[in-house]
This record gives sequence, C-alpha cells and structure tokens, in this order.
Amino acid sequence: MRHVEEVMGTVVSIELADDLPEDRLSALIASTCAWLHEVDARFSTYQDDSEVCRFRRGEIPLDDCSDDMRHVLNRCADLWRETGGYFDAYAGGPLDPSGYVKGWSVEVASQRLAEAGSTRHYIGAGGDIRMRGLGPGGRPWRVGVRHPWEADKLAWVLAVTDGAVATSGTYERGAHVWNPVAGAPAKGLRSVTVTGPDLSIADAYATAALAMGVTGLSWLAKRSGDGYESAAVTDDGRAFTSPGLPIAP
Amino acid sequence: MRRSTAAAVGTLTGAALILGVRLSVQPQAVPVNAAADGAIAEEPEIDEASGSTAEPEATGEAKKPAGKSGNSGGAENSGDAEKEETGLKAGTYKGKAVQNSYGTMQVTIKVSGGKITAANSSYPTDGFSGTINPNAVKTLNAATLAAQSAEVDAVSGATFTSQSYVTSLQSALDKAGA
Repeated sequence: MRHVEEVMGTVVSIELADDLPEDRLSALIASTCAWLHEVDARFSTYQDDSEVCRFRRGEIPLDDCSDDMRHVLNRCADLWRETGGYFDAYAGGPLDPSGYVKGWSVEVASQRLAEAGSTRHYIGAGGDIRMRGLGPGGRPWRVGVRHPWEADKLAWVLAVTDGAVATSGTYERGAHVWNPVAGAPAKGLRSVTVTGPDLSIADAYATAALAMGVTGLSWLAKRSGDGYESAAVTDDGRAFTSPGLPIAP
Repeated sequence: MRRSTAAAVGTLTGAALILGVRLSVQPQAVPVNAAADGAIAEEPEIDEASGSTAEPEATGEAKKPAGKSGNSGGAENSGDAEKEETGLKAGTYKGKAVQNSYGTMQVTIKVSGGKITAANSSYPTDGFSGTINPNAVKTLNAATLAAQSAEVDAVSGATFTSQSYVTSLQSALDKAGA
C-alpha cells in the first residue's frame, strides 16, 4: 500500500510491502502520519507556538523541554562535534534543528512501524529514505539517486534492504547551502548521497560533507568504517563513490 | 586530480626525506633541501584546515617518482642523504604519519647493510577510488557521471519542498504506484 502525505514543509512517500490486511496497512499508515504531524507541530520553525520556537524565545528552559526536544538538541550537538562544526543547527543564526529532525522523525517512524508489525516498508521524506526488509517482489528496494543536473535522470541505482539513503545537494536550493565553518555558501560539491543504518546520521553526514566542499570527499571516505557509504558529485561533474556503496547489480 | 596526486607524492617524498634526516648521524650537516621538503610535508596539514588545495612547491620535482607506489623514488631521494652516513642501523622504520586532506600517509623504510633497501608508503585504504593513489587515477577518469533511467522504488535527492515535489521523479513514481 502506498501513501503520500504533505508534512514538515515537504512530501513524505510511504510504501508498505507487507502481506497484511488492507485495514491493518491503512492503520499503520495513519499512525505514521500522525507521528510525523506531531513532530512537525513540535519542531516547526514556522509555527510560533511550536516547542522549538518557544524554546528559542526563552519561554521554556531546557529542563522543561520534552524528551524529544532534548534528544534532538543533544544529537545536534553530537553531530556538530562529529562533523567538525559542518553540521550546525545554528548555521542560520537562531536554533533550527530541521536538518536533523526530518531524518530522525522518519527513522523513528520506521522503528515504530517495525514494532507494530510492518517489516517491509520504506518512508521517503523530501528525498531522504529509510527502508526496512525486502521491497515488492521480494527483492531489495531499488533507490535511484537523482542526477544532480538532469531532474528526470538518475546518477546511480542502489539496492537496499535495511538502511537509509540521504542526499544533500545544491541544486534544489541553489547556492543557499551554507558552510557554517567558513561562513560562506558551500561550494565544490553538487550533491552528496550517504547510505547507512540510521537515516538521521546519514542525512547529517550528507549535509556536513556538502558544506565542506571537496574536502568532504576524504571526510566521507572515513565514514565507511562505521557503515556509512557515499556517492558524491563535484561542481564540475566528477563522480566519486566509496567502495562499499550498495550499487544495484 | 593530477595536482593532488602530485601533492600526495610530494608529501611522501618529503616524509621519506625527513626520515632520512632523522636517521642520519647527529652532527652531520642537514641537507638544505631536506629542511625545505620538511616544510612541504607539513603544508597539506594547513591546507586541510583552510579547506583549500594549494599545491606544494615541489610538484615538478615530485612528479618524477610518480611510479606505482613511490618506492623507487623514495629510496632514490633518501639515497643522497644516506651516502654521507655510515651508521644506519638495520631494521624497519616507520616515518611520522602525515595527515593531508586525502587521509593519512606513512612511509616505511627498510635498512640493511647500512643502506635503505626499500621504501614504501601506505595510502588510506578506505579512500574514494581516485582520490589518492596513482593507480586509482584511472578509475577516477572512468567515473564520469552517468545519466540513466531505470525502474526504481524510490528516488533520493536533495530535499524538495512541497512545491518542488510536483516536478520530482519521486512524485512521478508515487503517481505510477497509486
């Protein structure tokens, strides 16, 4: 069963490949969407009454924040350190954890689906995808990586069963991807795709590497050891892949 | 790419020379160019911090030993410093690990009979194909970006907004599967 939901300023595509009764699948999709809207209400930087906005204005101290909020803040801090400051929830000035929240919320959504009995599904939020189990037809999910210049073409096709694929690129938001360390727009890389077990981490790594520019290539290479593989395209069209990238046969 | 290869080889040569100097008998004159090369070996470290890819000055000279793993070049270069000394102790020595923007490189030399008999360098093994060792340059050249159309279940791309979703491949897929 497939479903498309508009939430978090983007569109989330959900597909459940489980052999379950229709009403069961519908209920699973409904609870997934409810969770994503709950996250949106809590973390939206566009809704004045969201927890993140109230925290930003100093209306609620950290100790009174929800567990989710504190988790997100902690993880943003961890990732800031891990990426040498290139993943920065304060890159645009005031706190904006959206870059972490999207991947994390989908990661949690997939975990919850698994706990509720869906062992074969994918959730894609605005181009970042978490898969579980086998796809339709009992084969691994086939994930196309968008070609960074030709919107209707793919640069790679990956085969993934359990895991995440996240892509960051400058083509969607123009040169508005910020290098927080240099305090200038990111340049050098056109798109970075990271695969790995956890979507929130894969997403943060892709964002950080894009911000780093070409030095992000060697930084990404070192993430292979932790199970995060990558594919990157430079501004001048050179393509790089890490040796363990799950390219579809 | 060629430039970064040259930079890497330059670093290796530099590291080999530093090692040569360190092994030499103390009071002997340090070869003038060894000091200069030492500076070059450090340079990529600075590059990494600033995120630029400045080219080491020794590029031209470093290109010469751009053979497979630089062992002939490394041995040859160290040879000059070695001639003046007699006290090289037999054994295997590892140079200081040098960090540059492509990873960590380390030079290892073997000494027997007072001479450097082999020099080897370790490249990052977890690297992207094409970013570091001279062999991989070929792989890089082959890895021009391909554009393909294929049947897929989902599309990963830079985050789209609700508005730009409409024109995305994912949206086409969703329509097809609905």
